[in-house]
Amino acid sequence: MIELHLIILAIVVSFGFVFSYLAMKEHDLLKALALSSVQSTFFALGFYILAAPDIVLAYLAIAVGAYTALIILAISKTERYEVGE
Amino acid sequence: MKRDAIVAIFFLLAFLFVSYAVTVKNVLGLGEAELRPLGEFYLSHSFAHEGLTSHSPEVVTAIVWNYRGFDTLFETFVFFLAIMGALSVLRLTEEQAKIVREIEGREPHRRMDIIVRATTKLVVIMIVSISASIALHGHITPGGGFQGGSAMAVAALLLFAAFSKFTLERKGLTLGHTMSAYAIGLALIMVTVLAPLFLYGGKILEINLLPGEMGLFNLDVGEYTAVTFGFLTVFLILGIPEWIFKNVLRREMND
Repeated sequence: MIELHLIILAIVVSFGFVFSYLAMKEHDLLKALALSSVQSTFFALGFYILAAPDIVLAYLAIAVGAYTALIILAISKTERYEVGE
Repeated sequence: MKRDAIVAIFFLLAFLFVSYAVTVKNVLGLGEAELRPLGEFYLSHSFAHEGLTSHSPEVVTAIVWNYRGFDTLFETFVFFLAIMGALSVLRLTEEQAKIVREIEGREPHRRMDIIVRATTKLVVIMIVSISASIALHGHITPGGGFQGGSAMAVAALLLFAAFSKFTLERKGLTLGHTMSAYAIGLALIMVTVLAPLFLYGGKILEINLLPGEMGLFNLDVGEYTAVTFGFLTVFLILGIPEWIFKNVLRREMND
């Protein structure tokens, strides 16, 4: 009834979900950025299983490469630690 | 931390419950919806080996074979707006750029150690070749100019991180050069878009009038150039350290 690739999809997206939660809870912005790029990698796998290879190519390069670099540059212009109340 | 774990597990369970309800128990009634005949046709024919087929392993490409150019055009618009926004917020006048270069020249150049540099050189060559294959094959296989261009931008970023901004600028990747290359890419896209109108009497973007697969190929190459150098332009501007920027702005205020 449920095929193998759907099970893999569920697992991969669940991992992405967990990592996005961890990224939101992290107060060290650089660590949060690393967690968020791990989440992007899992989502890219999910897109691949959903048969959208052109999205995977763009998503990996943007979400893991360019987005991370932009946010690192932005963090370098502010402070590394998020100070909560 | 323990409370966080409980919250995370709770969210995960809720997520699994909702996906179970939607897929297996069919709460929303999506599972019974029949595929429309047109959708079924595309799914079965886009990668068939005989009959009506576009030989594309990707259904999206098969459907929008003629609209891929349209897709590229709007990608270019959005990207152009983003680059112009960044440039107008972070622009420097000629004198200010000169001051920035002066201050940067006085700074000691920090580089990563030799292991990182050697590995980066190897990886960059691989990324450049893969991005070229993504972009130049974009009209047949999954991929295209935007995807290839963003992969190429990642290669430039790696060089940026492992060596330095200064090294890239000494090799000729200055702001003026990257912006000119960006303009060349945009010009190629504009020429391809307008060529059917003037040469063949068709409509704008009717690229199937151009001989062979030239139209889509030209759009891909133009987009590849534009995206690569557009990203590089933004990174070169953002790469100026904050204290230099503040220094320059303070001088402007004192004048």
